[in-house]
Amino acid sequence: MKEYLAIIAMDMRLALRLRAVIFFNYLFPLIFFFTFAAFMGRNTDQIAYVVRMSVTLGVLGSGFFGAGIRAIQDRELNILRRYKVTPITPAPLLVGSMVTGWLIFLPYIVLLLLLAHWMYHMPLPAHMLDLLIFISLALIAFRALGLVIASVANNMQEGQILVQLFYFPLLLLGGATIPADNFHGVMLTIHKFVPSTYLVDGMLNMMNKAQGLVSNLEPVLMLVITTFIGGFISMKLFRWEKEEKIKGSAKWWVVVALLPFIVIGVWESFRH
Amino acid sequence: MSTAPVIQVRALEKRYDKVEAVKGIDFQVDGGEVFGLLGPNGAGKTSTIEILEGLRPRTGGDATVLGFDPDRQKQQLKDRIGVCLQATNLPGKMRVQEALELFGSFYTRSLSSEQLLKRLQLWDKRAAYYETLSGGQKQRLALALALVNDPQLLFLDEPTTGLDPQIRLEIHKLIEELKEEKRTVVLTTHYIEEAERLCDRVAIIDEGKIVAMGTPRELQQRSRIQSRIDIVTETPLNGNVLPPWPEALESSLAQDGRSLTVYSSRPARTLFEIMKWLDHQGLQLEDVHLKRPTLEDVFVELTGKKLRD
Repeated sequence: MKEYLAIIAMDMRLALRLRAVIFFNYLFPLIFFFTFAAFMGRNTDQIAYVVRMSVTLGVLGSGFFGAGIRAIQDRELNILRRYKVTPITPAPLLVGSMVTGWLIFLPYIVLLLLLAHWMYHMPLPAHMLDLLIFISLALIAFRALGLVIASVANNMQEGQILVQLFYFPLLLLGGATIPADNFHGVMLTIHKFVPSTYLVDGMLNMMNKAQGLVSNLEPVLMLVITTFIGGFISMKLFRWEKEEKIKGSAKWWVVVALLPFIVIGVWESFRH
Repeated sequence: MSTAPVIQVRALEKRYDKVEAVKGIDFQVDGGEVFGLLGPNGAGKTSTIEILEGLRPRTGGDATVLGFDPDRQKQQLKDRIGVCLQATNLPGKMRVQEALELFGSFYTRSLSSEQLLKRLQLWDKRAAYYETLSGGQKQRLALALALVNDPQLLFLDEPTTGLDPQIRLEIHKLIEELKEEKRTVVLTTHYIEEAERLCDRVAIIDEGKIVAMGTPRELQQRSRIQSRIDIVTETPLNGNVLPPWPEALESSLAQDGRSLTVYSSRPARTLFEIMKWLDHQGLQLEDVHLKRPTLEDVFVELTGKKLRD
């Protein structure tokens, strides 16, 4: 247990010493929030929409760039190689990455909700704790997906391509940036397969419909399953050294990590 | 020196796809010994030591390190050994003391960071970020990390490569201290003088095989290359006829009549006889040099390659 605590404490210190972490976790999303709020903040529903967009942007950024790209970077710079000679397994490093991301991101969520409430009169969610737990689950699930990408990418170039392949579709098709009401036909079907849909839908239900976690069991379950599958795969495929290359076919493990969303997407498509 | 074997390797093999990096090598390392692995790049020495560190699985053969099987008991083994890798890094914003405390937390037993910082002359740099350290300071930190669990067995993979002579000497001193403390050290190096100075025994590896093993002196003596004796006298020798000194294989006199070169298989005995002869001839000695074959010569003789090939 002491290695878990030591890694989390160290990761926190390192994160807070990096200006990029502060910028991308706090300043950039806040600039984004205030800019969109200035344009769209005519009513509280629209502010809630901007909050959801800002949270989704942060969750996806933390997952794919904060966890995924950072893990590839550590491997490329031979940092993980130093850990390899010690008696620890990949578990404390992976758990450390998830917990650190969560500890850094959670204050931003609280700050964002409070700013939206004080400055734009957005009502605070009826089940504030439930919402924070839900966003935390989403953050950990997407960080797990980021770590799966880090595990299957052989180098930074491959990692960047894979991250972009997921980041933009998830940002655009999950309903966070383009409202889901605008999707029809094929786009609506694709929307049901996109993991970020469940994050946006869950937040919408909790912020606008005063629902709690119990009323959103489907997205909660999806995020929990994704965390476990993603965590398991990234643990199995974890590589300490850049010289340890993985076969091209291993990239299909990303699809396995997305299996819960594929299954639910198929089910939703048939149900409607 | 304790004689209980700390490492036992039998018919060890390592294959990467079609490349055979290690081809059935055997050796053992005794407790308290500094054992050197010498070989050019790609000879199989890093593969061998990484198998013993539990970092890579072996393809064939047997290996035991501190009584553990490096393939099956990786965690227990890693808890007991210290490793200084050839190419490694730490996050730029990690402070020196933090690194020691973090890595110390991974082991069941660890030394205090203060003690290690002072020993490795890093005390003044304890609050410095890793990214601000010089190459020598980074290497000292790497050695401090290798010692953080107070290991009885250390693997040092080319610990002085790329460092300036001053830092190299400091690291040599540290390895000598480790030897005095009866710790076992397995060292790979490109520097022959490092092996000659530090190692109790060396194994010369080439193309995945051990081509020679023994103390540096044994290897030098086993060499077919003869020692060379260079003598300069104050006045020229009378005539050009040189007597057949015992064990002398070849003798020659330079045109100045004063510079004598003799190759011998037993230089001490030959030199003694030459001195007697010169005295008998009434000649005064101006200079004398004895050059034994170096480990580098032995290495070239055995492998046909330079160590830094």
